[in-house]
Amino acid sequence: MMGDIRETFLEVTQAIIPLTLTIVLLMLVFVGTSLPELISFLIATVLTVVGMTFFLTGVKLSMLPIGEAIGADLPKHNSMAFIALVVFLLSFLTTVAEPNVKVLSNMVDSALQGSLDTNLLVVSIAFGVGFLMAISILRIVYGVSIRYLFTAGYSIILVLSFFVLTDYLAISFDAGSVTTGAMIVPVLMGLGIGIASVLQNRSELDGFGLIGLATMGPIMSLMLLGVLSS
Amino acid sequence: MSSESTGILFIVFEVIQSIVPLVIFFTLFQILYLKLPLSQLIKLYTGLAFTTFGMILFLHGINSGFLPAGTEIGEFFGGSDNKNFLIPIGFVLGLLATFAEPSVRVLSYQVEESSSGYINSNLMLYTLSFAVAALVAVGMAKIIYRIPFLYIVIPAYLFALILLWFCDKEFVGIAFDAGAVATGPMAVSFLMSLAVGVATAYEGADPVADGFGLIAIIALAPIIFVLLLGVYMRFNGGRENVQ
Repeated sequence: MMGDIRETFLEVTQAIIPLTLTIVLLMLVFVGTSLPELISFLIATVLTVVGMTFFLTGVKLSMLPIGEAIGADLPKHNSMAFIALVVFLLSFLTTVAEPNVKVLSNMVDSALQGSLDTNLLVVSIAFGVGFLMAISILRIVYGVSIRYLFTAGYSIILVLSFFVLTDYLAISFDAGSVTTGAMIVPVLMGLGIGIASVLQNRSELDGFGLIGLATMGPIMSLMLLGVLSS
Repeated sequence: MSSESTGILFIVFEVIQSIVPLVIFFTLFQILYLKLPLSQLIKLYTGLAFTTFGMILFLHGINSGFLPAGTEIGEFFGGSDNKNFLIPIGFVLGLLATFAEPSVRVLSYQVEESSSGYINSNLMLYTLSFAVAALVAVGMAKIIYRIPFLYIVIPAYLFALILLWFCDKEFVGIAFDAGAVATGPMAVSFLMSLAVGVATAYEGADPVADGFGLIAIIALAPIIFVLLLGVYMRFNGGRENVQ
């Protein structure tokens, strides 16, 4: 476990250093940030790195094996409805817990100044991910080509985007990509690999594409929310 | 000072509230179906505790570091006459953030393997970082010149949908998953608050319609890029290199 933590710490530090240096440079050269403010920014950055290290180590130790264990257990129940329900619930709950979703909902809340209920926003995003994941897992079971799903999904999105208010449009698409966060990805990957590993005649490659498919979920659900609320 | 302490208490509450349903769900599933051995359970619950603790620290760090910094820098440029500076700044940020992001390396190796070494992972890393950087610059230009989001996103996704049908089958899943790699949690928080900051301080711009959409634009870079690689692999004799 110590090895895991050290490795994750190095990865997080490596990813954050160039970003932090650029920010500090921008603050000093352009914004003219004061020294105490700069120091408190650096302290916050250290907290972020430590937090991210624990978070990612924890996710590796828990979320990935949980996804895999549940994924491998599902086909034993021999019921499509059961598989779809469990996948929906697990993806829904993971999305609710995803930190990226919190960052997005806070940003939306401050930009819209509270005119959209953030709980409704989070639930819609989670519903979208859960729904699309259930479909995508059934895809692996029935062996439907991933091309059809992407084409159908994005065609719906492209059509919907002409009917959605501009306010919702950009937020919907951002919500799609924000969902590909550090917590969701291992669970979805684990589920896909788990299910594909017990099914015969399915290669592990079938586990790929799940995250991309899940991305379409919140885009669609937020667009629908936008259409309904207008 | 007091807002700081209520801030972290609020985060602790929020994180625990959001993770408890997931833990309950897993515990029920474990009792009813999984019945994993105790030693494994201890490891899983320790992991969940790490996750919770880490998420609290991370969100607190982001809320008091990257988010206000992004907003401040964004508002500075959004309110100044030098808005154009944001385009090269966005480019550099995108380049550095992608190049340093560990999951981009993982993706590059994955593609090298899927093409049986035909696509070099280092070359992929460089070109992909460049592609993301270019799109961050596009995203900045979108805010500055107030280009409607539809004008960017519709052609881009149509292009991706067409490529999808000409692309080597193995690359389709990898491509759409790859959208995730360019949007690491730290880069996302910073860039999002930067964009909203610019749009807020920019007179005549709409903080919502102009401020959001940047992350989605960035995520398009690796998707289209890997799809293009897949098309290349299919039509340029890549097949005989793949068992």
